[in-house]
Amino acid sequence: MLEKQLQLIRSNNRIASTEIISQIITDFTEIHGDRVLGDDPAITTGIGFLSDIPVTILAVNRGKTMIEHQRFNGGQVRVSGYRKALRVVEAAEKFNRPVISLIDMPGADASVDSENHGQSQAIADLIDKMGALTVPNLALFVGEGHSGGALALSNANRILMLEAALFSVASPEAVAAIITTNDDVSEYLPMTSSQLEKIGINDETILENDRLIVNIKQALLKHIQELKLIPRDSLPMDRSDKFNRILATWNTGE
Amino acid sequence: MSHSPAKGTWNKCPFCHVHVNQLEWGFYKQCPHCHHYLRLTAQQRINQVVDKNSFKQLELNMTTLNQLKVPEYDDKLAKAKDKSGLTEAMVIGTAQIKSQRVMLGVMDTNFMMGTLNTTVGEIIKQLYFEAAKHKLPVVLFIASGGARMQEGIYSLLQMNTILNAKRNFDQSKQVSINVLTDPTMGGVSASFAFEGDFVIAEKYTQIGFAGRRVIETISTEKLPIEFQDADHLKQHGLLDDVIERSEMADYIGRILKLHQEESSC
Repeated sequence: MLEKQLQLIRSNNRIASTEIISQIITDFTEIHGDRVLGDDPAITTGIGFLSDIPVTILAVNRGKTMIEHQRFNGGQVRVSGYRKALRVVEAAEKFNRPVISLIDMPGADASVDSENHGQSQAIADLIDKMGALTVPNLALFVGEGHSGGALALSNANRILMLEAALFSVASPEAVAAIITTNDDVSEYLPMTSSQLEKIGINDETILENDRLIVNIKQALLKHIQELKLIPRDSLPMDRSDKFNRILATWNTGE
Repeated sequence: MSHSPAKGTWNKCPFCHVHVNQLEWGFYKQCPHCHHYLRLTAQQRINQVVDKNSFKQLELNMTTLNQLKVPEYDDKLAKAKDKSGLTEAMVIGTAQIKSQRVMLGVMDTNFMMGTLNTTVGEIIKQLYFEAAKHKLPVVLFIASGGARMQEGIYSLLQMNTILNAKRNFDQSKQVSINVLTDPTMGGVSASFAFEGDFVIAEKYTQIGFAGRRVIETISTEKLPIEFQDADHLKQHGLLDDVIERSEMADYIGRILKLHQEESSC
């Protein structure tokens, strides 16, 4: 079951984050580079209009062709990518623009450069900044999103997931290797859109029918309009409340 | 009749593999041949850095349960409790370091490699909460393999919620000192470990996000020995300093002294 789902979301036919941008965002203007190290093509950042609302977009690209896979590092965001996202998000806060993350990333960039450039620090800084934002932020899981990098992009007021998307502590393969099981790990660990909706992580599952793009646009608009009613200073609290509510359901034996 | 020495008299150094007599490890558990350190239990760490008898443990009445019914997790928890003598991978409390009061948190790798789960996360949030309430500096000794897989997304969500607690603590304007000890990896490295006013490491500590073996498998290049070593990170500008174990209490004491509020006179 999970295996089929992984095939589906990792296939070259899966809708890409950049395709979503081109179909729902007008006047999209890409912003390049972290102004320190470089410009990570694995994450496209920029601004544009969603309907008539100016928004900031953070979109992870996995790539559809061999060449794209290579260029985008298969969606494994590098340090300069997190740094680019951080600076774009800081600008969003200045100009009171909601932030939308489009997530499709398999996990950490396991490389010497990422470690030497401070991958841990870059992820921690983005998690922290997203949590503190005084503009609304929303995350849409397009394909899979695992580990700290995906969390950095989804530490948000609202999390939405396409039906087949996955959000997990690590890739299902990595989880299975560590807890040494041959079972389908989603039998134990909630990671699918319906499982995560049940425990309050996923706020809305977006149906993958022939109106997919319309569904995405309507859902994003609805949630942004709701979030715009919350006073800016209360947005960090709204965000931490969301995650605290989820964790409160965990029995700590007290 | 056996003429072998009693079990535990000699251990092999995990780094240089030379057999070392227990007396030779000394108070700081340092190999006399290659100078690497053995990993410490939380209790050993506390004894090494705090003023004598000053540690008062903050008992939190929490038990880790296998809520997701992951195979073998109950067994692993039971074994970890046996091995470490602890109920979870972290001990917190108040202490004095060089006569200055702090909130102290110490992770213990003997409990499931110090992995971050809901209980450990809750303990750290409590530490920041208590420190803010009593206006105390925070000293954290970090040692962890990362997020604990057996609690899935609930472990992952500790990363952002701990940072929320940390931001609240920061409003108290107290200094936070994070000491990265061997190993500091994964979801712990990429969340609270690197978010402190001071981020230092004990010498010979392995620090990173992705594991060394994973990188070796993917990159196919042979990684240099010093890769992910504390001194290597310092050279790359990622740490404030790297400190020897025997200097740790002095170093922390000095930083605390430099951040004492001037007494109004």
